[in-house]
Amino acid sequence: MIPRFSLLRPRSLDEGFAAFVAAAGEGAWIAGGTELLQVMKMGLAQFATLIDVKAIPELHGIAIDDEGGLVIGAGTTHRLVERSAIVRAALPGLATLAARIANVRVRNTGTLGGNLAFAEPHSDPATFLLACGAAVRLVGPGGARDLPIGDFVLGPLFTAREADELLVSVRIPAAGPAVGRAYAKLAFFERPAASVAVRLAIRDGHVAEATVVAGSLSEVPTVVEEAGRALDGSEATGAGLTSRLGAAAEAFGALDVVPDLNGSADYKRHLAGVLLHRAAQQALVEAHARA
Amino acid sequence: MPETMDLSLTVNSRERALRIEARETLGDVLRDRLGLTGTKISCDAQVCGACTVLVDDLAVSACTFLAADAESRSVRTVEGLAPNGVLSPVQQAFIDHAGFQCGFCTPGMLMATTALLEENPAPSRDEVIHALEGNLCRCTGYAQIIDAVLAAARGAISPDAVPDAVPDAGLDTAPTAEATR
Repeated sequence: MIPRFSLLRPRSLDEGFAAFVAAAGEGAWIAGGTELLQVMKMGLAQFATLIDVKAIPELHGIAIDDEGGLVIGAGTTHRLVERSAIVRAALPGLATLAARIANVRVRNTGTLGGNLAFAEPHSDPATFLLACGAAVRLVGPGGARDLPIGDFVLGPLFTAREADELLVSVRIPAAGPAVGRAYAKLAFFERPAASVAVRLAIRDGHVAEATVVAGSLSEVPTVVEEAGRALDGSEATGAGLTSRLGAAAEAFGALDVVPDLNGSADYKRHLAGVLLHRAAQQALVEAHARA
Repeated sequence: MPETMDLSLTVNSRERALRIEARETLGDVLRDRLGLTGTKISCDAQVCGACTVLVDDLAVSACTFLAADAESRSVRTVEGLAPNGVLSPVQQAFIDHAGFQCGFCTPGMLMATTALLEENPAPSRDEVIHALEGNLCRCTGYAQIIDAVLAAARGAISPDAVPDAVPDAGLDTAPTAEATR
């Protein structure tokens, strides 16, 4: 059984912060529990008080803000991300990604914010959202701050969030015309063995502004700048593209890759190379459609 | 708030009220307090799907779902699938198509399938595979399970397409082509 704890269910941010103070250093936030309850069962973490954030209104809702950014409440389940008409229109790759996280039971209970805050190195959303230039909004007793995903996820299971801060929402900036954002993964278990996210634009028939992110390879999702540079200026189709994709995949060779149950470092690099092709092709399809 | 709490919920259409510890999972409450042991706890880590139950029609892992989160909600377990001894179309299809061997994963498979077909009554084979990929069968009877789900789906569209569900589906039930394969 899970070690004993008290369960608090604040209905506002202020109630939540008061609960956190009352827990006197022994409290933790919980939403879907897909990660936290697992580590508590395994005895890797123990908390006297769990503060259930699911009833806090600020953590819910999906909307487009005044600048065209997509804002998703941190308490939104993967299922709701998958089903959201707003997400499907604004960032279809995220809806597709959400539909393929772990399994249907995890998707029905696990939340986007919980996934990001847990910072598992194999996180699907963290990898894709890093490529999309997304930022998280953290709110604490002292106020709010926004952090780009790359400044938020600092290491395996380690983020820039202070213990009393709550991840409230995620914002993905609007993409300009002829921009495509796509994610490809291969998974043998609940989490990917390797994944690659690509954001690019098509300018005059050529690839521009390419960002390539490797997920599940290193300790954190990583922007592979050399791969992005290799794609910039490439023809957007044909042998020219294939050649540049091959060159971009070479950039994974310089990554510090962590071998794991999915395979050796070289094998994971190979998977990333294959996935780079898939993600780039999908991003190009989306970029053409948005031209 | 203390470490114990009152819980009111509906389980298989029956109102239940009990006092639980906050740390109890839905699996703990169903099995140990309500005696509904059809829900199996196996991996205890949301990987295997043996503990799949429906909470307000959504499939969840009872092993990793706090019972407290079922407050005022409707829970369905395998025990509720045949309310008057009449097997549900999904259960009947699993029998007709040999959709189980040892049977341990079956309650979870049945509940996952029930949720799928309520949401998508006519899934493609790929959609069935996607919906069930988080439910593991260590006997590896996947092909028959997928056949059973597709047969149940056909029945959901056209009740005449599969034999009527019978309360006493015994050994004299004629095996189907898939079952003898």
